Amino acid sequence: MSARRAWLVAARELRADLRQPDGVVAAATFMAALILLQSIVVGPQVARESGVAPALYWIALLFAALVTALRSFDRELEDDALDAVLALPGGRDALYAGKVLALAGTLALVGLVGGLLAIAFLDLAIALPGHLGLATALGIVALPGIVVLDVALTLRLRARAALVPVLALPVLVPQLVAATSASAAALAGDASASLAWSALLLAIALVYAVLGLTIVPTAIE
Amino acid sequence: MPAMQPSARLERATVALEDRVILRAIDLEVAPGITVLRGPNGAGKTTALRALAGLLPLLRGAREVAGELLYLGHRPQLLHGLSVRENLAFFMAFRGRGGDAAAAIARWGLAADADRPVERLSVGQRRRAALARLDAEPCDVIVLDEPFAELDQEGVGLVREALNAAVARGAAVLIASHAHPEIDRDAVRVYSIHDGALAGA
Repeated sequence: MSARRAWLVAARELRADLRQPDGVVAAATFMAALILLQSIVVGPQVARESGVAPALYWIALLFAALVTALRSFDRELEDDALDAVLALPGGRDALYAGKVLALAGTLALVGLVGGLLAIAFLDLAIALPGHLGLATALGIVALPGIVVLDVALTLRLRARAALVPVLALPVLVPQLVAATSASAAALAGDASASLAWSALLLAIALVYAVLGLTIVPTAIE
Repeated sequence: MPAMQPSARLERATVALEDRVILRAIDLEVAPGITVLRGPNGAGKTTALRALAGLLPLLRGAREVAGELLYLGHRPQLLHGLSVRENLAFFMAFRGRGGDAAAAIARWGLAADADRPVERLSVGQRRRAALARLDAEPCDVIVLDEPFAELDQEGVGLVREALNAAVARGAAVLIASHAHPEIDRDAVRVYSIHDGALAGA
């Protein structure tokens, strides 16, 4: 797979997102709304003490990823733009890797906005900021590989908007558990637990990337 | 005169979609020059082209392409949100070609609209923008699905010029098209397809 071609697809994707930011705006709005509602419905004290805040943060980011990836592939289906990329030499690998890179960039932005809102509205005290940053970064890296794979595999299915979360969620449980646990441990000041869960996130990211690069190029139509 | 080597071919190619056989063991050879694939709606023209472009898996048979292939479907295949210039620049960069798309944009009469998002262009302009890839990405094998659809007379003339230039540099061109006698005259071979089977060449 060519890194240059993957980067070209990612840059094309991000440029289109800038011009048509509806997917990214929907994802960020969803994330912000969930955190604000959490601060009202659960309250900052419960959110802090029971580790609810990290769990809801990662669930919100997961749905933000699904919304963004679905929008991204919807745009490819308009005017059959997808066919043009698939017919290019090395287009299938580059399409998957480029979409993963672009989604990771978008999620980093949405995750940062959500993280700042969570800190502000839930009044979170962060015991280990560096560990939290690492856990968040690896959690974000682990998400796009499987989300893009899932959306790509359901591309030509009817009712895929409903099918995508149903098919993705079971596979995403390890990522959600690891990211939530790593973040909660960093907030609570448990360095070794945070690092152990972060290592698992790295492994998950690698496994999903290999799976995606193996399956998508042969399966996507 | 020795027979020309095909630049691309489908050999005994069978394609099924949703449990229905669309192509039935067809042998299709595309040699340098223009090859036309004729047939009524639903005969399997687009499926044959997509199979040759590697966009559809073959249930049985083989596909061979010598060199780089450019596939232009019956829709423009341009990414919404990007301009004509950005779309063309992406394809050129992906194939590792230098230069900019300005010459192709000017030739297809799109200079004034080159920086507008493609979704804001008219159907005909979008069609021209897609066909500008013929100039921006000179490939060895060119596969075109109904390239004259939605074009005015000037646009049809531009397509023929671009195809003649491609043939002059040795490209093999496959066109799926309804009646276009001018193209039939330029063609080195005309296939007819009916109900997924080639009726003759």
